Amino acid sequence: MDEYLVQVLSNIGMISFLALSAYILLITGEISFGQQAFFAIGAYASGIATAMWGWGFWPGLVWGAAAAGAAAFLLAWPTLRMRGLFFAIGTLAFAEMVRLIFEIFRYQVEIDGELVGPNGSEGFRGIRYIFEQDISAFHYMLLIYAVLAGVLALLFVIERTRLGAIWRMLGEDELLAETEGVNRTYYKVLATVVAGAVAGIGGALYAHMNTYLEPKIFNVMLGVHSLAYGLIGGLGTAFGPLIGVGIDIGLLESARIFSGYRMIVFGGLVALLLIFRPRGLLDEAAVHALVAWWRNTFSSPAKRSGGSGRPPERPGA
Amino acid sequence: MSETLLKVSDVATAYGAIEALKGVSLSAADGEITCLLGPNGAGKTTLMMTIAGILKPRRGSITLRGEEVAGRAPRHIVERGIALVPENRLVFPDMTVEENLRAGAFSRDDAAEIGRDVEAMFTRFPRLRERSAQNAGTLSGGEQQMLAISRALMARPKLLLMDEPSLGLAPLIVEDIFRIIRELNAEGTTIFLVEQNAHMALRIANHFYLIEQGRVVFDGTPGEVEEEEIIKRAYLGTEV
Repeated sequence: MDEYLVQVLSNIGMISFLALSAYILLITGEISFGQQAFFAIGAYASGIATAMWGWGFWPGLVWGAAAAGAAAFLLAWPTLRMRGLFFAIGTLAFAEMVRLIFEIFRYQVEIDGELVGPNGSEGFRGIRYIFEQDISAFHYMLLIYAVLAGVLALLFVIERTRLGAIWRMLGEDELLAETEGVNRTYYKVLATVVAGAVAGIGGALYAHMNTYLEPKIFNVMLGVHSLAYGLIGGLGTAFGPLIGVGIDIGLLESARIFSGYRMIVFGGLVALLLIFRPRGLLDEAAVHALVAWWRNTFSSPAKRSGGSGRPPERPGA
Repeated sequence: MSETLLKVSDVATAYGAIEALKGVSLSAADGEITCLLGPNGAGKTTLMMTIAGILKPRRGSITLRGEEVAGRAPRHIVERGIALVPENRLVFPDMTVEENLRAGAFSRDDAAEIGRDVEAMFTRFPRLRERSAQNAGTLSGGEQQMLAISRALMARPKLLLMDEPSLGLAPLIVEDIFRIIRELNAEGTTIFLVEQNAHMALRIANHFYLIEQGRVVFDGTPGEVEEEEIIKRAYLGTEV
């Protein structure tokens, strides 16, 4: 496989975690401009674990996700009463704070006569676990997609259970969801933590592919993009944000058709979609229509629902 | 008069420094339709939200069949058997009609029974069955109100709180809604109704309360008091 293609596909895979992270909050009705902070925390935490503490890759990955989830838990409380714009600004401020902390964060140990560890704005060099284990870029790409498939599968399960329904209820109308007896605080905090951990996994994967972390890459634009992926691809299912990532990185960036104008094209595309498909390509209505089509085409005629027949059971309900 | 189901005693609820309810006391008898009338800003919706647990009262007591529920979380209150149909026929707009119904059964975990109840709602409201896979936001105003009522019923409430169910609906639909309210009541659900349409409300209510500026100022049985007088006060808040 072409080295460049592997690189692009790996990028798409890693950024997908950030897109899914933003998506989880979007379906609960919150717009976060700060998911890049959890990506950064996952990257640093897992990098520290493997490069400095001598942990293996998988414990490092889990640790990165846990650290990001814990940070999200801490962020969830002060932002719980914030709505809309205020939540967006609150998360943005938090992410900038995290980035600035990494700019001054120094924690280095000597390994084989060489200083390893985060060194403020100089960055964090030497996250060489993958390199040392002699894992090829191609195999690492497969690993990224295997983890992504796992997270996606988990999200699909969640979407079909009570938890998914609750998140969507909160996203549609918080007050109404509370009226039905939903414990708003609990489920909002849970969504924030899960979203943080998912971003953390992406960060951990990123750190080990790049071998080098620099605080400035975890800037606001990363957060803006992660939101745009969900808005372009649609909020009807977890596939939506992945379509968004594919369009942005896959088409616009890798093909370089628009070279320097890429951001203008990207911005225009977002604007057009917000006009014509305000909830993205795969929005709820599209997903409902697809599910209905799927049932009518593939279920047995006896179960097939007509206009007046018995309505189909919702899966998992 | 039959046994008291809901009893509200001296309830005060405030938004910051503004006290919307200044000590409200009233009750709803089991199996009856109780109606709350009053001009805009009197505190009717605030009282409904307080009973449903969305707003926390500053003081006072709310009991359901003697059990204190004031200040409890909404989910406890739903589980105790109080369901609210909120003002402005609120539905989850991007969820399907069926998902909306199932959302109403949030506090229950008996999947088979929930399925049966969804069926029952579709039988009662055939329009909802026709639109079961459609997004609730695409329904007409009347259909959304039917959906909002069915969703509240999915919790199998003993007491149904209805906040202005006829607001902004065409007269024929309003007739429908009131017919449904009477049917539900005849089937044993106690109804506590806030209504601007005093004529219609007084026709079906067993008992009514008038609320003005956060206080109950008057109550009675519709037949006993001159309807014109009640309506004048309900809309204008003038002295009887």
